[in-house]
Amino acid sequence: MRLKLGLGSKFILIVVGILSVTLAANTVLFLRSQNHLLEAQLLEQGKALGRFVALVSPEAILGYDFLLLNEYAREVSLQRDVVYGVIVDPNGRPLTSFVNRDNHQIAEQVDADKPIKMTTLLSQLESEANLIPLEFAIVHDGELLGSFKVGLSRTQLTAGFKQQLLIHVITYSLIILFLSGAIYLVFRFNVLFPVQRLIRASRNVEKGEYQQIEVDSLDEMGDLAITFNSMVASIRQERAELHYQANYDVLTELPNRMMAVERLSYEINRARRDQQQLAVLFIDLDDFKVVNDTLGHGTGDQLLVKIGARLSSKLRDVDTIARLGGDEFLVLLPRIECAQEVEQVAGRLIDAVSEPLQLQPREVMVNCSIGVALYPDDGDTADSLMANADNAMYQAKAQRSSAVCFFTAEMNTRIQERLQMEQDLHLAMVREELELYFQPLVDAADGTHRGAEALLRWNHPVKGFISPEVFIPLAENTGQIIAIGEWVIRQAAMHWSKWNSRGLVSGHIAVNISRVQFQGTLAGIINDVITHYQLPPSALELEVTEGVLLEDHELISNEMKQLREIGLKLSLDDFGTGFSSLSYLKRFRFDLLKIDRSFVSGLPGNADDASLVRAIIAIAHSMDLKVVAEGIETQEQYDFLRALGCNYGQGYLFAKPMCSDAYERYLQQAQGKDEGGRPPLSMTVFPRS
Amino acid sequence: MRRTKNNKKSTIFALMLSLVVFFEILAPAVMAADDPLVMGVFPRRNATLTTRLFTPMAEHLSQQLGREVRLVTAKDFPSFWRGVSDRSYDIVHYNQYHYTISADAYEVIAHNKEFGRSDVAGSLYVRSDSGITEVSQLAGRRIMFGGGEDAMMSYILPRYLLLEAGLDNEDYEARFANSPPNAMMALYFNQAEASGAGDILIDLPVVKRNINTAELTHLVKTEPLLHLPWAVKRGMNSQLRQEIQQSLVQLEQTEKGRAVLKQAKMTGFGTAEDKDYDPHRRIIAKVMGSEKANH
Repeated sequence: MRLKLGLGSKFILIVVGILSVTLAANTVLFLRSQNHLLEAQLLEQGKALGRFVALVSPEAILGYDFLLLNEYAREVSLQRDVVYGVIVDPNGRPLTSFVNRDNHQIAEQVDADKPIKMTTLLSQLESEANLIPLEFAIVHDGELLGSFKVGLSRTQLTAGFKQQLLIHVITYSLIILFLSGAIYLVFRFNVLFPVQRLIRASRNVEKGEYQQIEVDSLDEMGDLAITFNSMVASIRQERAELHYQANYDVLTELPNRMMAVERLSYEINRARRDQQQLAVLFIDLDDFKVVNDTLGHGTGDQLLVKIGARLSSKLRDVDTIARLGGDEFLVLLPRIECAQEVEQVAGRLIDAVSEPLQLQPREVMVNCSIGVALYPDDGDTADSLMANADNAMYQAKAQRSSAVCFFTAEMNTRIQERLQMEQDLHLAMVREELELYFQPLVDAADGTHRGAEALLRWNHPVKGFISPEVFIPLAENTGQIIAIGEWVIRQAAMHWSKWNSRGLVSGHIAVNISRVQFQGTLAGIINDVITHYQLPPSALELEVTEGVLLEDHELISNEMKQLREIGLKLSLDDFGTGFSSLSYLKRFRFDLLKIDRSFVSGLPGNADDASLVRAIIAIAHSMDLKVVAEGIETQEQYDFLRALGCNYGQGYLFAKPMCSDAYERYLQQAQGKDEGGRPPLSMTVFPRS
Repeated sequence: MRRTKNNKKSTIFALMLSLVVFFEILAPAVMAADDPLVMGVFPRRNATLTTRLFTPMAEHLSQQLGREVRLVTAKDFPSFWRGVSDRSYDIVHYNQYHYTISADAYEVIAHNKEFGRSDVAGSLYVRSDSGITEVSQLAGRRIMFGGGEDAMMSYILPRYLLLEAGLDNEDYEARFANSPPNAMMALYFNQAEASGAGDILIDLPVVKRNINTAELTHLVKTEPLLHLPWAVKRGMNSQLRQEIQQSLVQLEQTEKGRAVLKQAKMTGFGTAEDKDYDPHRRIIAKVMGSEKANH
């Protein structure tokens, strides 16, 4: 287990360590020095004694005054730090007998009851480590009379050393204790407390409490506190910016979807607690794309900002308006009394939006559709309320009779049905409920067969035939159109290949492509299909509607360019029903332009339709485009179009959409291969005027 | 007024004249009757110690005799002997040899008792482990004597023992320590093969304190001889002589007297007369020649 030490503990340990080492080193040096000094003093004392005895002894030796010599030995031996003092003759024989039996070193060596053998005792004592033996020659007139041996004890020295060591240890321990305590207190008040305050403040920052701390010193800790405060201020500002960016729409400065959901959830809880009602209004601007495309994105942004401001101005302080994205707004009305109150507010909002707006460089008028969902009747969660309001908004857009639509139970039923249909559509391909129908396309000039448009049919096992106008938008919304679209292309290619292998000249096959299919992978899929089925690229024609061209221009343009490079034909479907911008025709190079059946149905009697069709054909031809007229049902229509130079025709007049088998038979008939020997189809179906 | 002043001057002059007559003429006569007795003690020990040992005895005698007894010590033997030769001492304490050679001037009245003994013998000592058992084995050896050639116990008697064994001066190497204990310690410290001293020396505390006397032993002893003499000047008043002798001999009979004896490291006094020292004279004559013995 790793011991966790605080900064204070580490600091005090370091201080104690440094002080201990320093003072210990000082103690060692001092005591060693003192010990050397004391030992030198001891030696000097011994030498002084020895020299003195050696000086005064000759007379006593020469006079055989052993009593006096013994007195010398006694006096020396009783001196402090002296263990023994013995005078010996030149042969080393003792001339004195005094021994201080009270000396503990002597006492350790001799038996108190037995006489002392001086020579033996001397040799024993001189070998002791704690004893310093000294010897001084006793000389008289150059003659060696003997020597004086003195033994100095280090016992007192050692005891003194130990005592000094003990004093030093105690003194220095107290010094260390005092200094450490003092330093720790200084450290605690000047470093530890500020650091702990910083830690607490940092933890508060971690919790989201951006509190600054007091700067109460001018030292590094003060600098650190200033830096911390600066950092906290930066974080607070950054967090505020992040919060704003995360919760507000940068363009309109209104709350965004996230904030809207948060506030809606809050208000739902509050309404649940207070048993109140609230309303969610889903607002979508009508034809905002047109503004964007015609006046530019900058103008579109200005429009959104002003619309947002107008909407805000019509609401209470307790209400919330948010921009969900694009041209969608959401209004949250808490604490409402009844639906009429909501209807009044919605009306004010519609009026506010529909007022003319002065945008550079022109005045613009836009309308909006509003879907309303109420809590608790239409949902009790933010998601359900928003989804239902969204659906109600779509209903408002669809019905066109009123710009405001309240979510209803019927709407809910339709939604459920739509969800069920989405699930069924998901299984449709697996269950092989989808089928391709082919509607022939003829040369308008002579009625000869030119190809066919592949039309998708869904044979629902319960509901029977379901119109493409019903399930294609559903598939586009759910993204299933990508898989379904690929399936259509492969099926069309497969049939063409089959017919071709049977010697039938089927012409080209036109396949409708949804805007959703332009994901950057379409060219790759087409390439794979034509390679797999050995389909000539010119045999495949892709039809796109004007709506496709409103999407990401660069992506669409690049993908269409790739398709053209493959060698496919491209046609613009339902021309005239949408925005019919000539700029599209110029930007995207199409081969054919298909006039929508709604314009053909009024021909030739409706002057407007006639003028429009005439203009379309003239423009197409001027741009070197072929023209296909859809929905030709009468000979008069056919004649009129042929007279205007329409290149191809398609409609019930020539043939209804048919299943693959029927279409195969149609081809056989058209090419005179009818097994029953019937005349070619073109002879009977395509009348010539 | 003037007359009065002249009378006062006359009175002062008369008083001063009386004082001069008293101190110059009458005082010596008065003091001659109380002359102190001079007690000389030979420097057996140093002068300080001798003074300390015998001062109580001098005071005791003063008290007993009713006159002052002045203790005189000498720093060395020649100084002491000059006092003997000059008959400066009324009472003198010295060794047997000294008495025999000064007997014409002094008369012995008492002798020492030490360790309860009135007599003492001369001895030759050797180391117990020396293997020497006969005096004759000392031929050619170094022999340590105490004091000097006039030391009765430490030289004359040991020399006598050597002569008795047939060893004269030239037959051995004679060395002298400054005191008998040192002579014995020289033997102990292997500075000599034998030493000469009184037979009781080996038991003296001063010796036993300093060496292990168990390592030494007597080789031979002389006959017992009367101990150290106390003599008075010949011609002393017999009553005074008697009083001095009685004062000394009776010391051991009182507590106070025994304290005086103890201080002097003695156990008592015995009476003595000149013929008690004839054995000493015989030995001295043997060693020193008859002239010295009968001086």
